[in-house]
Amino acid sequence: MAAKKKKTNNSFFNFHAGDAVWGNIFKKKASEEETTMAILKRVPLFKNMKKSSLREFEKLLHRRTYKADEAIFWEGEPGVGMYIVHEGTVAIYKGSSEKEREELAKLAHGEFFGELALLDESPRSATAMALEDSKILGLFRPDLLELIDRKPRLGNQLLFNLSLLIGERLKHTNDELQTLWDKLEDTKVIK
Amino acid sequence: MEQPPVLSVRFNPGTIKKIIGGFVLTLGFVASLILIPILQSVVTILIIAFFLALILNPLVNFIENRGIARLLASVLVFAMILFLGGVGFKFLAPRITNEIKQLSSGVNEQSPGETLQKLQENLGDKIPFLSNPMIQKELKKKIDDLLKKSFSVVVNVLSAVVSIIMLAFITFFLLKDGRRMKKTLVSWVPNRYFEMTLIILHKTGTQLGRYIRGQLLVASIVGSLSIFALYLLEIKYAFFIGAMAGLANMIPYFGPIVGAVPAIIMALIHNDGSLEIVAVVAVAFATIQLFENIFVSPFIVSKSVELHPMTVIIVILIGGQLVGIFGMLLAVPTASIIKVTAQELHWGLKNYRIF
Repeated sequence: MAAKKKKTNNSFFNFHAGDAVWGNIFKKKASEEETTMAILKRVPLFKNMKKSSLREFEKLLHRRTYKADEAIFWEGEPGVGMYIVHEGTVAIYKGSSEKEREELAKLAHGEFFGELALLDESPRSATAMALEDSKILGLFRPDLLELIDRKPRLGNQLLFNLSLLIGERLKHTNDELQTLWDKLEDTKVIK
Repeated sequence: MEQPPVLSVRFNPGTIKKIIGGFVLTLGFVASLILIPILQSVVTILIIAFFLALILNPLVNFIENRGIARLLASVLVFAMILFLGGVGFKFLAPRITNEIKQLSSGVNEQSPGETLQKLQENLGDKIPFLSNPMIQKELKKKIDDLLKKSFSVVVNVLSAVVSIIMLAFITFFLLKDGRRMKKTLVSWVPNRYFEMTLIILHKTGTQLGRYIRGQLLVASIVGSLSIFALYLLEIKYAFFIGAMAGLANMIPYFGPIVGAVPAIIMALIHNDGSLEIVAVVAVAFATIQLFENIFVSPFIVSKSVELHPMTVIIVILIGGQLVGIFGMLLAVPTASIIKVTAQELHWGLKNYRIF
């Protein structure tokens, strides 16, 4: 009887990662963290960040699940933050009604959207909708503002990367504008 | 034999869901109505802990900002509060408790009746209505009630100590793990309301934090200035009356008057009804109010939380009716919390096109 009791006690205290119940819980959490970290590494906003910094951002992420055809946000709503696709596919639409809707992009695993909402709450410029059952990671302005307050170095790193991203987009837009301008000039000359 | 007609009612799944939802909501409402009075003390401790965490959070963030882990930062803030509280207790508490003791046992070893007698003798010719025996009887009854109440306060000291320990414990964990708790709570919100909830929580928290910290800062400035002024004017119980004036200052419009009246009464009692000292005390309090209104409040207290004067008067009256003086003190902050939450909720519902 005493031996049996001892055994029970031992089994209670000696649980480890290989144990059927606890092992699965720890394994699931660890693998979830690993995949999240792997996804974050691919996102330009987290470029050149140390593992410890990524872990800090990983703590801020909200994990959301959306069903097929469920809206993540609607055009015109105040922006709160950015999303990264973990699993599934997300479509970005322009136009409020279903008839006028024009698909701008389709985003899959590791791709992100809505990052400008990290800066201010100006209305969303498009609607984001899950095309299939999807798992999405969200990073939101309130959490970022709090991080800037607590760990300004980390917050600065993200804001710097966000500035680089916006700068690159601006350059790209300028180039496209220049090309369009040149084309317009050419048509004028021809005319 | 004829079969009795079978009554068949068809519900679509939406209606059933609505009925179940309504039933659960009503059940929840009734359960909370029953549970809240039972759990009143726990709920009160939770609310106070929440506000303390809201007040202390920027301090913990500031320490964390210096590269110190959150756990250590929370411990440091608590150690600092214990140290400051200990120092304050060592120097101020004996003085204030002595003042309260003297006040409750009758000023200068006199019984309440004798005090009244003295006040009446001093003031009888200046303010005739105080000689009215009805008023004297009423005042005496009030003071006796106060003495009886103070006994029950002593009996409750033990439970107060337990509550303070619980309060400290909950505040510490709210400071350390508050963000994680908030994240877990938000994770239960349906997708449609998720973004709106996040932004409302953020805005309400920021505004309330600023408002409460601002109010406390203004109260401590007014309290310190009042103590200093009363000390210079050699008014008895300067520490107690000054601290009360600081606290009362949190009640708009009435607060400054409520704060000044005890000081004026004390001045009258101890200066043989001399109206000169009353005028000096009144001028001192008016100057402090002027200073607070021009130089302190405009830079500290948020305008967005301000309530209409009419609302302020009504909520103070309601607070006074419900919980007495403590209710009057808490009425405006509570109304401000409700106002900010309602404002942000309205903004959210409108902008996220929920309705």
